Amino acid sequence: MKRTLEYRLWRQIGCLTVACVVSGLIGMAGDTATHDGSGPQQTLSVAEILKLIDVDAYHVPPLPLMTNKNYARSAADVEPFGAVKPFKEHFLLQMEYTGPGRAIPEPEHVDTVKIGFLGPIMPTVSVATGGKSHEENLGIAMLRGCRLAIEEANAKGGYLKRRVPFELVVRNDNGLWGASGNEIIDMAYKEHVWAILGTIDGANTHIAIRVALKAELPMLTAGDLDPTYIETNIPWVFRCIGDDRQQNYILVDYLFRKLNCHRVAILRSSNRYGRFGVREIRDSARRLGRPIVVEMAHKVGSRDFTMQLDRIQAADPDAIVYWGDGEDAAHALNQIRARGMKQPVVFCDRAVSDEFLKIAGPNAEGVVCGYPWNPDRKDPKLDAFREAFKKRWGVEPDTYASHAYDGMNMLIWAIQTAGLNRAKIRDVLAHRPDPFPGVTGDIPLSAALDDAGEVFLARYENGKWKYYSREDMGIPSGPVIERPRVEREQASIR
Amino acid sequence: MLARSKPLTVQVLLVAFTALPALPLSAADSTPAGNEPGLPYVYTKWEQITTKDGLPNDHIFAIKADPTRDCVWIGTEDGLACYDKKTRKIRSWKEKDGLPWRVVSGIDVDPKTGDVWLALFGGGLARFSAGRFDHYHQLNSGLVNDVVYGVAVIGDEVWCATTAGASRHNVVKDKWNIYTEQNAPMEEIWNYGVSARDGKVFLSVWGSGILEFDLATERWKHYLDPDGEMEIELYRDDGVVHVITTGVSYVDKTLWVSTYFGACRYDGRNWRGFFAQEGGTPSDFNNAARGRSAHECWYCTDKGIGAIVDFETDTWVVYTMDPDTREGIAEVRRAGKILKTLRFKQGVPHNYVLWAEFDGNDVWVGTSKGLARAIGEGYYPRLRPLDTQTAGSGSRP
Repeated sequence: MKRTLEYRLWRQIGCLTVACVVSGLIGMAGDTATHDGSGPQQTLSVAEILKLIDVDAYHVPPLPLMTNKNYARSAADVEPFGAVKPFKEHFLLQMEYTGPGRAIPEPEHVDTVKIGFLGPIMPTVSVATGGKSHEENLGIAMLRGCRLAIEEANAKGGYLKRRVPFELVVRNDNGLWGASGNEIIDMAYKEHVWAILGTIDGANTHIAIRVALKAELPMLTAGDLDPTYIETNIPWVFRCIGDDRQQNYILVDYLFRKLNCHRVAILRSSNRYGRFGVREIRDSARRLGRPIVVEMAHKVGSRDFTMQLDRIQAADPDAIVYWGDGEDAAHALNQIRARGMKQPVVFCDRAVSDEFLKIAGPNAEGVVCGYPWNPDRKDPKLDAFREAFKKRWGVEPDTYASHAYDGMNMLIWAIQTAGLNRAKIRDVLAHRPDPFPGVTGDIPLSAALDDAGEVFLARYENGKWKYYSREDMGIPSGPVIERPRVEREQASIR
Repeated sequence: MLARSKPLTVQVLLVAFTALPALPLSAADSTPAGNEPGLPYVYTKWEQITTKDGLPNDHIFAIKADPTRDCVWIGTEDGLACYDKKTRKIRSWKEKDGLPWRVVSGIDVDPKTGDVWLALFGGGLARFSAGRFDHYHQLNSGLVNDVVYGVAVIGDEVWCATTAGASRHNVVKDKWNIYTEQNAPMEEIWNYGVSARDGKVFLSVWGSGILEFDLATERWKHYLDPDGEMEIELYRDDGVVHVITTGVSYVDKTLWVSTYFGACRYDGRNWRGFFAQEGGTPSDFNNAARGRSAHECWYCTDKGIGAIVDFETDTWVVYTMDPDTREGIAEVRRAGKILKTLRFKQGVPHNYVLWAEFDGNDVWVGTSKGLARAIGEGYYPRLRPLDTQTAGSGSRP
């Protein structure tokens, strides 16, 4: 519910939402002020969207483009180059697809409606991740969430327009750089999938989305939290989970504005996940005048953090940020505590796992992690999902399973709504007037087609994870100015 | 660092040209071309070629003019085609005809051997020689990845931009080199485009800006977005406009770069950024850049072609298609103002443009819905001199 309220507030402040009147639709079609996003924000009903996107190969439907006034709800005091008015600010105006794809007719005959899945589900050796693969547990959870969504949709009649079942085309993301591109091409040109959900590793997802753009195929991630995933300006790319930028921001506010830390250290994995995962923490700390005192990286799967912790201890930090896999996080935490270091240690969401708790034992008490949703939320949808997931797979759904379930349901909804046309599937996802009601909460998309919902903190208390919103924990925020930086009289408050 | 201002001479020229009294502003004009003093050449005669004319597919990813055969090679989403300029006939090859993979995303021709090199999007690399396709892929060669976005021939070498690094193949020595983050300054390895000329190879790398490789010294040079931020362009002219680059074209010692965030030019000393908000290019979403000279580059965008035709005076010709009438439209723009609008029977086949190729005075344009040839009868570079006595010379006014 908080995500919904926040979304409404955010949208009301950021955009002037004008109710669309059906009778005015034709007139609006020629309104370039609206079309290019410079006019007031308009929203259309799904029926109106479907009417507008029924165009030939040469016309671009006059869909109103969402405009945001502030990228990613960034506080002014952590915006890059805050003392300078930038020449241009990206990601504030929604991208549009101007190609001919909407005119491609539905195939005359289909036996199944295929949706692609790309995720790490089999062990392999990975150059990108620095050795043996390590994300299978996340990928399997993601796959289970997707399978459940497909099975439920098929139980309700499958693709209702044709009464044929949905089919999940599963491909392993083996982690070797470049392999994900081959898999997407296979799914696009041989399997003829209508959309793809995947993957987790940031590098592999980047490769995949470039292919998706050229092949004109909607791609949604429910597990890659790399902020740069959507910072590529591709109109075919979506995300249904709060990213590491948002987790970074709430942890920055927690550490610097609430705990008033001045000397924060970072320990992270040496792969892309660790490198990009802490980027906004590192940058924000510097912009707030409290630069990170030391940042140390370790190989994925490390069990000995002596060298890294020697340097961190020598820097005498008053808090430590850890970014990496859950098992590595637990071992690092144990070695931090074994040294007698009592500083608060905050983690990324991957620490919220059974493996972490098992290894960390009593050291887990009081640990704080960024988290992309609130699993404690009271919602009959979530309860029903949990029950169904446990019945199907015999385990509780984790964050990857839950977001994958939501993501797959978003794709199924878009296909049911738009029909078998990739461009139209993209359109209804990108222009849906209201947030998608997922089991992880409402999922509002920003102009960059990123999940703009609220993120949370998870704290392990008395043998249980508890989830807190910013308000719950009284975490102050920096000033978020709802005006594009290029339009502000003063570039920043700095 | 402050944005550099234009030199005084350029400012004077800009003022002089924008103040030309004889030029109608924003008015549609039926005159055959914009061949007026002070204005650039405008292509008003276009031929459109689609599947109805024999193309294997309308989604055009690559074009390469082959003057020795007097033909044009066309790479599509489902097949390779060759347009014979004399007979105006098209011959095509699909997988059933031996083409190793259906999607042809890049083409170059070896001027020495006549071999046609094909970048195959998900299918590796192919050499088409004397009617035979040779297939190179990850498992039988030094090709680093089968998702190949671009190919360029220079000397005895074939360079490939792949999604997981660059491959360099010496066809005489049958030697392969692979360049990734291990041995080149690639922050990321997602190569998107390649341009080779005058002893240099340029790679546009998604997430790593532009890389320059000097064949004589075997050294790399790296061009990144100086602000280092994804969400802003701090200064217009400070360097590559964004780290995510989509295309590169090197000609006359000038680098033209395309991105999904704008475009830019580098003359070895100064950078200049181009953005839609300044009124020249029609869009910041650039699929490719094709430089014709140090003064001219055609940017292939999702809203038509933005051709900067005289860099010094910031003069552009924007080619689009009216979706209602299918007529071609050309707008001559200078310093953000529309100087002249021309409409003609047909122009670019679709406004989603993916590639352009210069062929003498003609220009070939590939879109996601057909191919077009802009016929350059009476073409002149840059601007028609104000003194009509010297018209056609292509010299500066």
